Amino acid sequence: MHTVLTRGNATVAYSLSVLACLTFSCFLSTVFLDYRTDANINTVRVLVKNVPDYGASREKHDLGFVTFDLETNLTSVFNWNVKQLFLYMTAEYKTPSNTLNQVVLWDKIILRGENPVLDFKKMNTKYYFWDDGNGLRDNHNVSLYLSWNIIPNAGLLPSVQATGKHVFKFPSEYATSSI
Amino acid sequence: MLEIPTHMDFVGQGKAERWSRLIITLFGVVGLIYGAIVQQFSQTVYVLGLGFLLSSLITIPPWPFYRNNPLKWQKPVITEPKPQSGESSDEGKKKKK
Repeated sequence: MHTVLTRGNATVAYSLSVLACLTFSCFLSTVFLDYRTDANINTVRVLVKNVPDYGASREKHDLGFVTFDLETNLTSVFNWNVKQLFLYMTAEYKTPSNTLNQVVLWDKIILRGENPVLDFKKMNTKYYFWDDGNGLRDNHNVSLYLSWNIIPNAGLLPSVQATGKHVFKFPSEYATSSI
Repeated sequence: MLEIPTHMDFVGQGKAERWSRLIITLFGVVGLIYGAIVQQFSQTVYVLGLGFLLSSLITIPPWPFYRNNPLKWQKPVITEPKPQSGESSDEGKKKKK
């Protein structure tokens, strides 16, 4: 501590150590929180087509078309260790070839400070609902889940699933008219 | 010529280190509490930055109040130049050390 440089060095180093401690405290204050909350999901229109999947094999695969309502209040999820949420909606169903299929249909990023109360009506999916075969037609147990990743300032990257889910079924006939 | 003293004495150095630790720790704790209340971690970082600036201002420059305890040097002992006999070699060794 005998020159300006050594004192400056010590001050900077100690400040950074304190900053690390504060960040760790911030992480500790939020690590045991329960981020689950409820979501209301509803399907409005559901139909399925059998069309060639040029992205994969050119064979005809089942392609689902879904519009949905989504209502949820994510206010309680945000705190000082949450920078943004990555919301995504997945469809889960069982086919004869796979016991578990998961398809991401839609996603959204919500920054902290943006409106966390969501109320969407008749939303189209963002991504194609392809099955890898013909497992969608007449499938009576397709579940829609809303989940989110929490992007924090410090600490874990939790992946949380909302408590509400919606179960719907696909019609037993392929739609022929163009949507 | 203008002579600006730039040193701290030993007591002053101890004081400077203690004050810098105290200020930064204090601002860190206050910042953590404030940030937790307003739920903005950025506010915590800003308060800590404020403490860093204050601590830098107070403890980094060699302010005059860090020079209140100067060392009490012994007065130089003036020794009589000894007659050069057989001890000249001994003195030479001491100088080398």
